[in-house]
Amino acid sequence: MVFTIEDLEILALTLKVALTSTVLILPVGIAVAWGLARWRGPGKGALETLVSLPLVLPPTAVGLLLLLLLERSSAMGRLLAALGVDVLFTWRAVVLATAVMSFPLLVRSVRTSFEEIDPRLIDIARTLGRGPLFVFARVVLPLSWRGVLAGTVLAFARALGEFGATIIVAGNIPGRTQTLALAIFQRSEMGKDRAALHLVLFTVLLAFAGIWITERVMRRRQRSRS
Amino acid sequence: MLALALLGATAVGAAEHPSEILVFAAVSTREAMEEIAKQFQRGTGQTVRFSFGSSSTLARQILAGAPADLFLSADLDRVEQLARAGLVRPSDRRDLLSNQLVVVVPAASAVAIKGAPDLVRLDRIAVADPESVPAGIYARKWLESAGAWTKLKGKLIPALDVRAALAVVEAGSADAAVVYRTDAAISKRVRVAYQVPLAEAPRITYPLARIAGSKQPAAQQLFRFLTGEQARAVFTRFGFIVL
Repeated sequence: MVFTIEDLEILALTLKVALTSTVLILPVGIAVAWGLARWRGPGKGALETLVSLPLVLPPTAVGLLLLLLLERSSAMGRLLAALGVDVLFTWRAVVLATAVMSFPLLVRSVRTSFEEIDPRLIDIARTLGRGPLFVFARVVLPLSWRGVLAGTVLAFARALGEFGATIIVAGNIPGRTQTLALAIFQRSEMGKDRAALHLVLFTVLLAFAGIWITERVMRRRQRSRS
Repeated sequence: MLALALLGATAVGAAEHPSEILVFAAVSTREAMEEIAKQFQRGTGQTVRFSFGSSSTLARQILAGAPADLFLSADLDRVEQLARAGLVRPSDRRDLLSNQLVVVVPAASAVAIKGAPDLVRLDRIAVADPESVPAGIYARKWLESAGAWTKLKGKLIPALDVRAALAVVEAGSADAAVVYRTDAAISKRVRVAYQVPLAEAPRITYPLARIAGSKQPAAQQLFRFLTGEQARAVFTRFGFIVL
């Protein structure tokens, strides 16, 4: 099986987009997960629902909502145009779509690991006079980093495979917005099954790597708990 | 988070594709356009990037804000739509090509087709989506005027674009497809069973348009190249009728 330069470019773009998206959502996802794990007041349910929405909505629905939000004639679209920033149908749109779609996976996984922390440990650190940031960095993260890592891998994997929202906000432009998932779709639609299979092989390898890492991390987490 | 994602993406990709021309083109023109782009690139050093698809999808994307420089549509309506939205100026468009509908069948198929009524005898017929995609709309209008549309409706397999319809027949998953003669010409796995006489089908026009707000000065140069002698020769070689 011989890979073409185009195949490798598609792989590179996919990795670049998924990486950018994951790096961008990581700090926000951790903050939101922390909020959901600790906050008991009003608004929690609403935030919970909002965050999980992309997980339960059809990706195409999310894509259409993003498109309507950003299209030329919308308020946001006009603002972006005034700033001279193209988002829709550029690679930024791919990053946006993948970020929104993988965000809930990150938050869910991280939040679970935050909730598993014995709250007394946090309270003790606080009563010893440590500030919330210190406690977060020195108590919470060391106790939950496996969950954070697993969530990150999950989000990254989701970003690699995002299709429905991406095709609506970013189209399927070879060399610009065409990720593995989009290219597989296009090639199979054109009856170029063999060429599509080359890309499927990439996705299989990436999936194996992703699952393997997550499994390893999770297994150690279980072992360290017992 | 949305704002953050946008901001981050903007920062990372501040200077991108300064020298590329982005052309949105009807998928039926793929091979001809790629050939012409190669010649253009050899002559000018300018890189051309394509997004091929159904003209309806591409027009929708341009309307939403896709940064296309040129658009070669397979029907007039799509460009009209963009013109109404102020995205194509009258001086920036030109009717470039025409084409002809044909009925293709798998290369090994022995089916004989002498007109639209013969299609009724088949079970599955692939067409580009007759509601939105130009090739499908042309096919629908032809079949309507031939009085075969209502009888065929339940047998149609609508595809995303004309090449997807072609692929369905290539894979042997449909008995026939209505495509352009230029699509039939690039496939070895189908044969033309019937050429729809030009007088019996709606007139097919491919307008070329430069998109207003294109930030790419070389787009004008490519526009001229596409309407020039060298490009005409390529289009003709691929079976298009050059207007």
